[in-house]
Amino acid sequence: MANLKDIKRKIGSVKNTQKTTRAMKLVSTAKLRRTEEVAKRSRFFEDAINQTLSEIAASINQYKVGGIKGRYFEKPEIQGVVDILFITADKGLCGGFNYQTIKTVRNLLQEYEKKGTKVRLKAVGKKGIEFFSFQGYELADSVIGLSSSPDYKEAAAFISRSVQDYLDEKIDGVILVHNGYKNMITQEIKVVNLLPIDTSKFEGSAPSSLIELEPDESEKVLESLINKYIEFNMYYALIDSLAAEHSARMQAMDAATKNAKEMVESLTISYNKARQESITTELIEIISGMEAMK
Amino acid sequence: MDTLKLEIVTPEGLIFQSNVKSVTFPGEEGEFGVLPKHASLLSLLKPGVIEITLPDGKQESIVINWGHVKVDENKAVALVEGAIPLAGGSESEIAKRIEEAKKLLESASDSKAALAAVEARIEKAAKII
Repeated sequence: MANLKDIKRKIGSVKNTQKTTRAMKLVSTAKLRRTEEVAKRSRFFEDAINQTLSEIAASINQYKVGGIKGRYFEKPEIQGVVDILFITADKGLCGGFNYQTIKTVRNLLQEYEKKGTKVRLKAVGKKGIEFFSFQGYELADSVIGLSSSPDYKEAAAFISRSVQDYLDEKIDGVILVHNGYKNMITQEIKVVNLLPIDTSKFEGSAPSSLIELEPDESEKVLESLINKYIEFNMYYALIDSLAAEHSARMQAMDAATKNAKEMVESLTISYNKARQESITTELIEIISGMEAMK
Repeated sequence: MDTLKLEIVTPEGLIFQSNVKSVTFPGEEGEFGVLPKHASLLSLLKPGVIEITLPDGKQESIVINWGHVKVDENKAVALVEGAIPLAGGSESEIAKRIEEAKKLLESASDSKAALAAVEARIEKAAKII
């Protein structure tokens, strides 16, 4: 049995850890609330752009022979290269949050390799970058700092490099992977095919009345909107991922605090036992001394 | 009096939502004004100033860098990427906003002539405020 002093020191250090984890939990809770607020505000934009896109798509489908055409929608599959973009956190201590994303990306990688398609990996977030560089994968593009503070301009710049390659027919598609926020206690891996765009998403809601377009080329308007749509999707994924990160960290820190509490309890019991033991030993010594004196 | 509902939305959130008397947008093919009961229209916007006249006759200006606007009979929804309202409590605040607005425009457009035209409009709008 360890001696009293050792156990006492251990209890102290576990209690300190507990203080840290509890503070981190509180910080994450506050940050999660703020990120949720940002996400809520962005949803206005999402709703508006989705609605407009579907109305234009519907009106093109209705009035134009052949429906929607254009590079954004067609599946060429010539180059045999796709971009996989993924978002991880810059920091750890958030349970399996980063690992889940990494696992999904690795599965996708294997899937595409089987098909003989080359994959270019593009990473946002330190944890993902560290993992894949350690494994010896080459990252085509990487950004640090964007996942902890999403910024529309930077997100747009990051995604537009892939979009440009797509338009230049260097790649066949763009896939975005991130661990998204579902509710306070669950996260959900989301894999989205950003390009080519699935037009079926926009179908269904025909415009209420005939819309006049300006400029008059509906494709041009549509393309310009789609560009923004993709940029916004990237930005929203970042916010979503940040919210998920905070909720994951909140949970992880909650669990850590609980574990620390349990550990303090069991250590206190062994401390008490050790103390009792030493008292008993002393008593036995005194008693046997007295016995010997008789 | 007829009014139309105007909403201006950026990726960061809703920045303007109110009933207005009229509004002028910097459309891709030229500036255009919208009054209540306008025909349905969807237009791309270029860098410039959205000028709003409120029902009480007050003017408001919002500088934008890119966007599009969808006009229905009694509603106009503008989706913009970056927007800076030219308003504020004090002179210095307005001056700061104007600086920000100019920076926003510079990042959006590379045509010097267009830039100068928009800047002149900003100065004019600022004087009204």
